[in-house]
Amino acid sequence: MLKNIQEWILLFIIVASLVVLGNWVGYDVMPLDAIPGILVLVGVSMIGLIIHKAIPYKGIPSIAYIGILAFIITIPGVPGQEQIVEWTTKVNLLAIATPILAYAGISIGRSWTDFAKLGWRTIIIGMFVLLGTYLGSAIIAEIILRIQGII
Amino acid sequence: MEGKALGLWKDWRLHLVVLAIVLVTEFIGQHRIPVGVGIILLLPMLYAVIIGIAIYFTPIVTKKQSHNAETLVYITLTLLIAKFGVQAGPALPQLIEAGPALLLQELGNLGTILLALPIAVFLGLKRESVGMTHSIGREPNLALITDKFGLSSPEGRGVMAMYIFGTVFGSIFLGLISGFLATATPLHPYSFAMATGVGSGSMAAASLGPLVAAFPDMADTITAFSGASNLLTSVTGLYASIFIGLPLTEKLYKVLSKRRNKNGTETEIVNNSQNITETEKQNEDRKSKVVK
Repeated sequence: MLKNIQEWILLFIIVASLVVLGNWVGYDVMPLDAIPGILVLVGVSMIGLIIHKAIPYKGIPSIAYIGILAFIITIPGVPGQEQIVEWTTKVNLLAIATPILAYAGISIGRSWTDFAKLGWRTIIIGMFVLLGTYLGSAIIAEIILRIQGII
Repeated sequence: MEGKALGLWKDWRLHLVVLAIVLVTEFIGQHRIPVGVGIILLLPMLYAVIIGIAIYFTPIVTKKQSHNAETLVYITLTLLIAKFGVQAGPALPQLIEAGPALLLQELGNLGTILLALPIAVFLGLKRESVGMTHSIGREPNLALITDKFGLSSPEGRGVMAMYIFGTVFGSIFLGLISGFLATATPLHPYSFAMATGVGSGSMAAASLGPLVAAFPDMADTITAFSGASNLLTSVTGLYASIFIGLPLTEKLYKVLSKRRNKNGTETEIVNNSQNITETEKQNEDRKSKVVK
């Protein structure tokens, strides 16, 4: 457990630096301004990972703990909420997404040969599979949101 | 996943490559390409995934880095989930108000069956199409099909093909079409925000990015809806597949293949699928016992 925590801390230092640097180059946020926010995000992620590790029941994925914890600490009225929101606003969402997809690309490379073997029919169907889910959800959401008068 | 994390920080080669990708892609920045009525948004993360794939084929990285990168995706993804969370908290009143839409849009994943299954059958695929189109084909669905039919069955081959397709092409494809659809169709960005919870972290990030970039003044609410939808899908996705998605795919497949094979082959296929439905029922019983 301790070894894991140590390893996670080192990994988070690396990925947090990537995020902060990308945030600087791409979105003009000075690293010093973004540091409190990224520390909050790292802290929440660490706690989520630790809870997942510590609880014997593994049916709930660690990202669920992380998402819910981050959600709870920023509900209006929770002590320190405004400060946390203000700090984390400085960390651009797209600056987090870029390193994720850079790592993902390198990891995906291994599947490329399998991908190349798939054939044109799979590729066409695959695009409709993704489109179907995405558009289907958006259309249902649109209908309900309009009925409710939210949009 | 976390167990394998030991020693990954030492892979300086991997981290330096990613650092270089991040700096270069963020420096290039966002570009907008008008296409007809809509806009295709090219974002740094899109270049990042393409450069990442390309670099795998250079001597700069080896299989080892590629393996290590998988865990790093997961670690970085936790930061994105935390970011989703902190943007959702302040939007709690809006989330409650939009609750019905958030819950019901989960059923939109069935759109895949209605749209893609007829196309698959039309293109001449047989039982593979059931595996391919019953869902978006991520890890839980892979597990479900393996459990019911086995990975070497036609259904198993189908879901595996879709898994590979989604892994390699999913984030690129959704990253390209999400901004385009949001600008070209009359649907509201909030609706697309709710649709980004497709059941894969990197695909969610890729489809959310263009929405945030195209509608900056709605960014907070868009991110909150997206985060809530992602969380919901990770909880309900598998069960929606088990109880609605897969049975519906089976039914629709039977109807479509009957129409297609008006000759002798028809009965054979129908018999086949009946057999499969039988075994499925047995499996289902077994599973419900386990759950109890």
